[in-house]
Amino acid sequence: MAEHFDAIVVGAGPSGNAAAYTMAKAGLKVLQVERGEYPGSKNVQGAILYAQALENIIPDFRDDAPLERHIIEQRLWMLDEQSFVGTHYRSDDYNKPPYNRYTIIRAQFDKWFSSKVREAGALLICETTVENLILDGSHVVGIHCDREGGDVFADVVILADGVNSTLARKAGFHGELSPRDVALAVKEILFLPEETIQSRFNVKEDEGVVIELMGSVTEGMIGTGFLYTNKDSLTIGIGCMLSDFKVNPRRTSPYALLEKLKRHPAIAPLIDGGEMKEYCAHLIPEGGFDAVPRVYGDGWMIVGDSGGFVNAAHREGSNLAMTTGRLAAETVIAARAAGKPMSASTLAAYKRALDDSFVMKDLRKYRRLPKVLESSPQFFTTYPELVNRAARTMFTVDGVDKLTKEREILGSFRVARRLGGLFGDALKLWRATR
Amino acid sequence: MSSVVNVEEKLFQNRYKIDAGRPHIRIKDAAVCASACDEKQCTFICPAACYKAEGNGEVTLITDGCLECGSCRVICAEYANVAWEYPRGGHGILFKFG
Repeated sequence: MAEHFDAIVVGAGPSGNAAAYTMAKAGLKVLQVERGEYPGSKNVQGAILYAQALENIIPDFRDDAPLERHIIEQRLWMLDEQSFVGTHYRSDDYNKPPYNRYTIIRAQFDKWFSSKVREAGALLICETTVENLILDGSHVVGIHCDREGGDVFADVVILADGVNSTLARKAGFHGELSPRDVALAVKEILFLPEETIQSRFNVKEDEGVVIELMGSVTEGMIGTGFLYTNKDSLTIGIGCMLSDFKVNPRRTSPYALLEKLKRHPAIAPLIDGGEMKEYCAHLIPEGGFDAVPRVYGDGWMIVGDSGGFVNAAHREGSNLAMTTGRLAAETVIAARAAGKPMSASTLAAYKRALDDSFVMKDLRKYRRLPKVLESSPQFFTTYPELVNRAARTMFTVDGVDKLTKEREILGSFRVARRLGGLFGDALKLWRATR
Repeated sequence: MSSVVNVEEKLFQNRYKIDAGRPHIRIKDAAVCASACDEKQCTFICPAACYKAEGNGEVTLITDGCLECGSCRVICAEYANVAWEYPRGGHGILFKFG
């Protein structure tokens, strides 16, 4: 007879680790299964860690978690082919501990988080791919792994298996992802001496900068680029909606897009000399509120990317992952304490907890944003170009009087979007994000 | 956009444990790629360039450089011609940094 657990968690990323940790800490008998050689070896993120979600799980994580730099400055740049117009927000408030967010390197961070899960008492098995869920009627009772005698049973299975959500899809809990609901992102890690990074980005030891990039670099596709400072490396990447990659008439490969970004005159000097040590690709579930599938049923719950829990508008994911993992775990703990079966009606408490948390509140707030952006590509092409052109016109001293320059700028906006279009865009964006 | 970017150079930096002779992704029906699908978007969207358009209209797939993102399966929505699984436990890409 195969061994029976109180709970099985599939996957050892942020959501799976949060779930396994929370349940093990409460004394449950937890099995966690990870397909990578070690936790983190299959996981990809930008990566920014928002402290608060982890603080709720491991309050003293700063004592030993592998953190790269705390972020003191956020830049948003709008690019055309030659130039950029940008905003920088830097505050010394971000230099007062406890810091609010950090850059991290996921392979190291996930390994650390996993060590906490094992300390809490969960059993972790790596190098094991879960092929299918085992169902008894409609009730998930266990998992089938690609090992000999690979059937393991539990009262409840928490699916933290990442954006492809393979297990729930195979079990028929939800359908295939739509190309409209996922972004494909690629990135590289470039190593540079710590001092070089500090002088180029105007920061001291342990301080960091994030740059988000919009404009011509995505060739009109909905997407953004990013450049993050780690301790002695930079992460540079770019992601666009998969549906946009499909219809881009230039048929540009994601790696060609990344190369173009690296060569942009505003970016190239910042990354110059960086030694590239890894190239990654990953899907990001950006469909928002309407793309979240059913996330619980008889004997199962879905957490993290597998459930589409990403707030694309704010570039938040790992904090939603950890929070959904924790909430699913707390649902299991409360159900056990009340002696309830792990049925869909019991686990509906997970959905209620999600609805009451920032996770679904934020996704609901931006519910209309994906569709608005899809129908308004000008936000990612026309406006960045217009803004750069306006800046060039205004800041170039060439004997043309300023009133004429102003008229020229206004004219360029009117030609590109017409006044109605400008107001309509502003209204659409406001309604989609309010 | 020039397509001269050499993705092999990028993939060369990565660590893999290849499951020799057991590719985890398969084209279900080669004839669908060759005759039904004109766009062959997998041949430029795959971030590891695993899919190649051949002169005779066929698409060949070599999964050794696969980054396990899932894009090929998701974009093949019209034909659903990609049989996609994760590699066996411990195999495939091994991210050093992620």
